[in-house]
Amino acid sequence: MKITTRRSYLLASLGVILVILVLFFGTTGQSQAGSAIPENQPTGETTTDWTQVKTLFAQGAHLVTPSRYTAASLPPAEQDPCLHCHITGEETSLWTPLVRWVFFGGAGLLFAFGIYRSSSVWVSREPWKPITTRAIEWVDSRYDVAEPLSKFLSKPVPKFAQRWWYCLGGITAFLFVVQGITGIMLAFYYKPTPDAAFASIQFIETQVNFGSGVRMIHHWSANLMIIMCTAHMIRVFIMGAYKKPREFNWISGVLLLLLSLGFGLTGYLLPWDQRAYWATTVATEIGAAIPVIGSLILVFARVGWDVAAQTLSRFYALHILILPLVTIASMAAHFVMVRRLGIAKPL
Amino acid sequence: MAEMDIHSNEESVPFYPDHVTIEAKVVLGLSALALVIGLIGLFAPVGLGEPADPMNTPAHVKPEWYFLGLYQLLKYISKTMGAVLPVAAVLVITFWPFIDRKPDTTSKAYRWRAIAVSVFMVILIAMTIWGEVS
Repeated sequence: MKITTRRSYLLASLGVILVILVLFFGTTGQSQAGSAIPENQPTGETTTDWTQVKTLFAQGAHLVTPSRYTAASLPPAEQDPCLHCHITGEETSLWTPLVRWVFFGGAGLLFAFGIYRSSSVWVSREPWKPITTRAIEWVDSRYDVAEPLSKFLSKPVPKFAQRWWYCLGGITAFLFVVQGITGIMLAFYYKPTPDAAFASIQFIETQVNFGSGVRMIHHWSANLMIIMCTAHMIRVFIMGAYKKPREFNWISGVLLLLLSLGFGLTGYLLPWDQRAYWATTVATEIGAAIPVIGSLILVFARVGWDVAAQTLSRFYALHILILPLVTIASMAAHFVMVRRLGIAKPL
Repeated sequence: MAEMDIHSNEESVPFYPDHVTIEAKVVLGLSALALVIGLIGLFAPVGLGEPADPMNTPAHVKPEWYFLGLYQLLKYISKTMGAVLPVAAVLVITFWPFIDRKPDTTSKAYRWRAIAVSVFMVILIAMTIWGEVS
C-alpha cells in the first residue's frame, strides 16, 4: 500500500473523529447552557436561596415552559444525576437519552462508515471487501488458523453416529456447561461460611431476580448430568467402544463420572441446612469404612472429625475451583481422543 | 487411525455443517428444557430445610441419591466388605478395557454385556429405592 493511500485514510478518519467531537462538544455545551445551573460564586455576591428553590420545585416550577424560567426557579443540581443527558424539565429517565444516543449515534456511525468506504474505494481503485472478510484476513494473517480450522471442521463424521444414543456424551458435556454458567451466577451471591451460607441461599431464593430459577436449573442439571453420564457409559460398555485403541478414553470417562459424583458430594453441603449437613456426614462416613486409610480420608474430607466451618470452606474450594479444573482437563483429553480416533464402528 | 480411512463419503457426513446442526438442535432442546425447569423454579423453588444443627440429628438421615445404594449396602454387610467391594468395583470398571481385550466379532458379545449391565443397574436401582423407602 502506498503512503499517500495511508495518509488519505488517516485524514478521512481524523476528519470523521473531528466532526463527531465537534458535535459532541456542541450538544454538551448547549444543554449545560440551557440548564443554567445556579452557581455559587466564590465572591459571595449572589447566593442561591435553596429553600426558595425547593418551594418553587415543589410547586412544579420546572414543568412550566422555558420562557418563564429564572435561575432561582430551576431544580437543584442534585435532583438530576445527569444534567447534560436531559433537556431541562423533561422526565429524567434513562431511556430518553439512551434511545437518542442509539438512534442518532447509529445514524452518525452509518454516515461516517459510508464516507470511509467511498473514500477507500476512490483512493485504492479496488472493490470494497466486506468487513467480515477483512476481519478473517486480519486474524488469519497473524495466527494462521484458517487451514487447521477448516481441516477440523471438514473432518467426516460417520453416518451411524447420528443415532440418538451417540449424543448422550454430548448432552453430558452441555449440562456441564450449563452447570458452569449457573454455578458462576450463584457464586456471585453465595457466602461459604456456616453463619452466612443458609441466609445467602435464602437471599438467592427470595430476593435475587430469577435466583430461584437459576438454583433450580443448577440443582436439576446436576442430577441429570450424573444420569446422562451413566447412560453414556452404559452405551459405550454395551457396544464395546472402550476396546483398543480407546482404553484411555474409557479411563478418562470413568474419572469424569467420579468427578461428577464429587461435584454432587461437595455441592450438596453448600446450602448448610439439616438435610445437607447430615447427608454429608453420612456420605463421608462411607469413605471412613475403608479399612486402613478410612480415618485419613474422613479427616481429610471433613478437615477434622466433624463436619464444620472448615469442611464447608474445603468443599466450596473443591466445588468451584479444583473439581472444575480437573474436569475441564479430563474433558479436553476425552474430546481430543474422540476426535483423533473417530467414533467406534459398531458391528 | 485405520478406522478413519474406512469412512468413505457415502457413509459419512462432514462435521460442519451437518453434524454441528444436529448438535445445535440437541443444545437448543436442552436449553429449552433448562428454561422450563428455571420457570418451574420461579414458582416452586428447590427450597431449604431447617438450618444445620450439629447437636440435633434428624430421624431419617440419608446421603444423596447416587450414594444411597452404597449406603444401603453398608448397612447390611460387614464394614470392611462394604468398603472394599465398591473400591474393587470401581477399579475393575476403570481398568475393564485391559481385562476385556478380545475384539468383538459377533453381536453375541453385545448381548452378554447388555445382560451384565442390566443386572448391575437393576440391583443398583433396587438398592437405591430400598434405601429411599427404608
